[in-house]
Amino acid sequence: MAARLRRPAPRRAAANADSGVNLSDTIVAVSTPPGRGGIGIVRLSGQDSRRIASQILRFPKPPEWKPWTAALAELVGPDGHTVDQVVVTYFGRPRSYTAEDVVEISCHGAPVVLRYAVERACDAGARLAEPGEFTLRAFLNGRIDLPQAEAVRDLIEATTLYQARIAAQQAGGAVSRRIAPLKEQLLELIALLEAGIDFAEDDIPVASDEEILGRIGPIAQGLSALAESFAYGKLVHSGFTLAIVGRPNVGKSSLFNRLLEQERAIVTDIPGTTRDMVSEVAAIDGIPVKFIDTAGIRSGQDRIEALGIERSYQAMADADLTLVVIDLSAPVEAVDLELVERARRQGRCLLVGNKSDLPWRAEIAEDITAVSALTGEGIPALRRAIAESIVPAGLNCEAGFITSLRHERLLRDALAALEKARAAVAERIPHEMLLLDLYAALQAIDAITGATTADDILNRIFSTFCIGK
Amino acid sequence: MQATGRPFRYDVVVVGAGHAGCEAARACARLGLKTAMVTMNLDLIAQMSCNPAIGGIAKGHLVREVDALGGVMGEVTDAVGIQFRLLNTSRGPAVWSPRAQCDKKLYRLRMREVLEKEPNLRILQAEVAELLITGGERRVRGVALRDGRVLESDAVIVTTGTFLNGLAHIGEATYTCGRSGEPPSNLLGNQLRSLGLEWKRLKTGTPPRLDGRTIDWSRFEPQDGDPDPTPFSFLTARIDRPQVRCYVGFTTEETRRIVREAIPRSPLYSGQIQGIGARYCPSIEDKFVKFPDKPRHQIFLEPEGLDTYEVYVNGMSTSMPIDVQTAMIASIPGLEAAEMVRPGYAIEYDAIDPRQLSHSLEVKTIPGLFLAGQINGTSGYEEAACQGIVAAMNVACRAGGMDPVFIGRTDGYTGILIDDLITKGADEPYRMFTSRAEFRLHLRIDNADERLTPIGRKIGLVTDQRWQLFLRKREQKAKLLELMKRIRVEPDKAVDRPTLLQWLRRPEGSVNGLGAWAEAALGEAPIREVLSSIEVEAKYEGYIAQQERQIERLRRAEERRIPEEFCYSRLPGLSREIREKLERVRPSTLGQAARIPGVTPAAIAVLDVYLSLGAPVTTQQG
Repeated sequence: MAARLRRPAPRRAAANADSGVNLSDTIVAVSTPPGRGGIGIVRLSGQDSRRIASQILRFPKPPEWKPWTAALAELVGPDGHTVDQVVVTYFGRPRSYTAEDVVEISCHGAPVVLRYAVERACDAGARLAEPGEFTLRAFLNGRIDLPQAEAVRDLIEATTLYQARIAAQQAGGAVSRRIAPLKEQLLELIALLEAGIDFAEDDIPVASDEEILGRIGPIAQGLSALAESFAYGKLVHSGFTLAIVGRPNVGKSSLFNRLLEQERAIVTDIPGTTRDMVSEVAAIDGIPVKFIDTAGIRSGQDRIEALGIERSYQAMADADLTLVVIDLSAPVEAVDLELVERARRQGRCLLVGNKSDLPWRAEIAEDITAVSALTGEGIPALRRAIAESIVPAGLNCEAGFITSLRHERLLRDALAALEKARAAVAERIPHEMLLLDLYAALQAIDAITGATTADDILNRIFSTFCIGK
Repeated sequence: MQATGRPFRYDVVVVGAGHAGCEAARACARLGLKTAMVTMNLDLIAQMSCNPAIGGIAKGHLVREVDALGGVMGEVTDAVGIQFRLLNTSRGPAVWSPRAQCDKKLYRLRMREVLEKEPNLRILQAEVAELLITGGERRVRGVALRDGRVLESDAVIVTTGTFLNGLAHIGEATYTCGRSGEPPSNLLGNQLRSLGLEWKRLKTGTPPRLDGRTIDWSRFEPQDGDPDPTPFSFLTARIDRPQVRCYVGFTTEETRRIVREAIPRSPLYSGQIQGIGARYCPSIEDKFVKFPDKPRHQIFLEPEGLDTYEVYVNGMSTSMPIDVQTAMIASIPGLEAAEMVRPGYAIEYDAIDPRQLSHSLEVKTIPGLFLAGQINGTSGYEEAACQGIVAAMNVACRAGGMDPVFIGRTDGYTGILIDDLITKGADEPYRMFTSRAEFRLHLRIDNADERLTPIGRKIGLVTDQRWQLFLRKREQKAKLLELMKRIRVEPDKAVDRPTLLQWLRRPEGSVNGLGAWAEAALGEAPIREVLSSIEVEAKYEGYIAQQERQIERLRRAEERRIPEEFCYSRLPGLSREIREKLERVRPSTLGQAARIPGVTPAAIAVLDVYLSLGAPVTTQQG
C-alpha cells in the first residue's frame, strides 16, 4: 500500500510549502543542453505561454497559434530591435510534453541569445523553471510514467547518439515490455497459490513444491538477466574510462590522437578536470569512452617524474580498461612487463604493440594487438578489441537492457524476494507466507511497471479455475 | 400512504430480519437504543435462503470478528451446527477457517429466541412501504408501513437482501418474489430507485433441493466433521453434539451434454437475466460453458436439518427449466431416482452502489439512512452479518453524538469488506476472500478477539462475561509466553535444550501435548486457542514482523487525511476520468484514494503534493 504512494518529488513538495512556488505559474527555461550548439530551444509551459511569446516576439503577421505548426518570427528587444531570427512551435494542451500549453522558441544557439530570450520571457511574466520542472509537470499531469520520466532525464543528458537512442527506447517503455512477460508468470504463480488457499474446498490442483520451484526458476532467470544487463546499461549511461599507459616514447599520445580522430567531431564537451593528464571523450560502438593519456613510466626517475608516474598508476586503478602500450621496434623492457602485470592485477587490460610499421624487435609471449599510430594500421582491430572488452561476454544487448540504477535495485530486490520464496519452499513454509515473498517480488516489479491490485489476482483466478460451489 | 393512528417512536428501525438485520437489531438494542425490527414474515427470521452452512474460508473469519465485537452469529451457529469442519488445516493457521453445516430451522428458531430476549427490541411483521425523508435537508425520520402505521426514528438500517424488486427465473418462467415463495418488496424498492441514488441489478442463484430418501448415498464419498469441532464463538468452550455427514460426488459426461444442449433455454444465456452474477459462484451452466475442457464438476450433498429429508445440492446452482434440472440430477450416479423437492432458481434484485456510503455504512447524502447486507452489493450470510453490526454501532454513535466506529483494513476482514465496498463499489456480488487482505497473517481467527473485542467493549457491545474471558485469555497468553521464554525443553525433545519458545519456532516444535503442562502452570485449563495462538506467533515471527511493518506504513497513508470538502476540480494535472472517480468516492484518506480503481500512482502523487502544499489550490488550469 504505502509503496504505491510514491512521491515524485518530496523535496520539491516541501520546497513548495516553504516558498509558495506555484505549479500553475507559466515557466520558462532553455531546454537544450548548456554550451554552444547549432540551435538552442527556449521552452515556455503554462497557461500564459502564448501571451508571453507574443510579447517578446515579432511575427510577420498575427500568429494563428495552430498547434504543432512552426512559424517564423523575430526575437525583439524592448525597443523593438531584432535580436535573432527564430522558429516558434506551439503545442496545445493536453497534447504537449507537459500536458500544458507549450511554446518552443528555436533560436540560434549562442548562449547569450538564449539567456536573453529567457530574461525577456521572465520580464513578460514567466517564472524561471526549477531544475526538472518540465518533467515533473509532465509526470504530475499524468503525461508520462515514472520510468519514462527517468528516461527523459537520460535523454536530455545523453552524450552520444547511441545513448540518445537507448533513452528514447526506454521512454517508449522498452523496459516495461521486457519485464511484462516475467511479471505475467509471477502473477500466474501467485494466482495458483491464492486459488489453493481461498478455494481449498474446490476441485483445484494443489501446487507441489516442485511446481512452485519450477515456476520461480524462469522468472528469477529472466529478472536476473535483466539486472545483469545493467552492467552494460550503466556503461551506456555513464560511459567508460580507458587509460593509456606505457614507457615514454612508445607512442601513447599518437595512439591517443589516432583513436580519437574520427570521433572528436561528434563528441560534446564534457565538463570535468583532467588533472595534468590529457583526457578526451570519444564514442566506441556508441558508448562514450573517456580516453586518458598518461605520463610515461620508466625506472630510476627523479622526484617530479615520480609524481607523474604515481598519477599514471592512479589512472590505471580508476580505469575500466587499461591499454598497455609497448614499442614493437624496441626490445621489451622489465618496466613493460611490470606494467602489464600491474594492469592485470587492477582489472581488465589490453596489450598494444605500437610502431608495427617499423621492423619488429620486441619479443613477448602475450596476446598483443599490433598497431601503427603513424599509419593507422591495426587501429580498427584495436577499436574492436576495446569494444569487446566493454561489453560483458554473453550479453544480448539487442534484447534490451536497463540503464537506471533504480530499476537495477528494484530487480535485485525482486530477485532477493524470489530467493527467500525458494528457501521457504525448501522449509515447507505454508503458502500464505511463501506468498508474502512473492508479493514482495511483485511489488518491486510493480514499482517499475505499475501497480497490481487484489482484484487483478482474483480476476486471474476466476478466469483460470472453475471456482465456486 | 395514509397514516393511521399515532406514530410509534423508536431510536432506530431495522428493515429486514435476515443475517444483516438480526445482527443490526440485536446490537442496536444491546447498545440501549429503542429498536424496531420489521420483517415481512416473523417465521422466517434469519432464514438461510441458500446453503445450510455458516463460515468457510475468510467467511469463518468474518463470523469470528462479528463474535469478537459482541455479535450473535457465532453463538447461534455453535448452538445449531450439525457438522463442524476447520478448513485449510493443511496450510498455516492464518488461513484456517471454521465452517459449519447448520440445521436451517433450528437456526431460525434460535435466532428468534435470542432476539426476543432483548428488552429494547420490538419485532414487527409488516411490509415497509416507504422511508420517511424530510424534504429540504434530506434526513431520515422513520418508515411508513404498508398497513398504514408509521414508525418514527432518527435512523433506519435497511437490510432487504434480495427483496428489492426481486425477480426469480426458472427457465423461461419469471415471477416477482423476494425469495422463492415470498413476496418481493417493490414499494420500498421503487422508492429507493427514486431517491437519486445510483443502483444496479445484481443476480444470485441457488441449486435444487432433493428428497434424501431417494438418494443412493453409497455412490458418494462421505465427508465427516472434525472429531474436535472448532467453535465460532469465543464464548463457546466446546461442542459435544453428534455430527452428521455430508457427501461428495461429481457430474458426468451426460450432465455436460444435457446442460450444453439446453443452453439456448437458459435465462442466463438467452438474455432474459440482466443482473450481474458472481464469478466465484457460477451456476452449473456457467461452469460448463466457461470451462468447456473441464469434463466434470464437484457437487456436495448437504443435509438441510436434522428432522428433514431435504438435501441441498451444493455446486449445482441453476436457473435452467425444470425438465432440464430433473434430467441433470438424474445424470449423476446415485441421483438416478432422486426426487427434486424444490427447483433451483436465479434471482435478480436491486442493489445500491455502495460508493455512496461512508465507512459507517451511512448514505452520505441522506443522514440517518444506513444500509447493510446484499443491498450494498455483497453476497453471503457472514458478509451481511458484519455489516449489520457495524451499521448498528454507528447508529449508536450517531445517536450519542460520538465519532463513528472505524474498523480499518488492518483491524479485520470486516474493515476490508467495508473499505472495498465504499472505495471500489461492487461490480459483481462481493464475497470475502483471504486474498483481499493485505495483512493476512495478522487477521487470524485465533486473534479476532485481540483485534476487535476492545472496540466492541468501548462502544458497549461486549458483555462483562465476554470481557472477563478476553482478559483472562490475554493474561494466560502473556503468562505462558513468559514461562516459555525461560523453561527449557527436555533433552529427549531437543538435545541442545532450547527454551520452549525457541523450540516452538523449529519445524518440529508444536504445542500439541503441552496442554497438561500449561494447565499445571496456569492453575486452570488454558482457554481454547491460547496455545495455538502462541505457536503461530512464535513460528512465523519473521513473517508476522514483516507484515507489522507494512501495517505501520499503511497506517501512515491512512493518517494522511483528505479534507471532506477538498476540491478536486481545482487540482491541475488530474484527468477528468480520475477526477470523477475521486469525486464519486470522496476518499477520506490518501490511502483510500490510492485504492480506488483507475486512480493512478501519478494521480496519488499529485494529490500528495497538493496535500503537502497545505494550501487550497486557487487557480484553475489543465
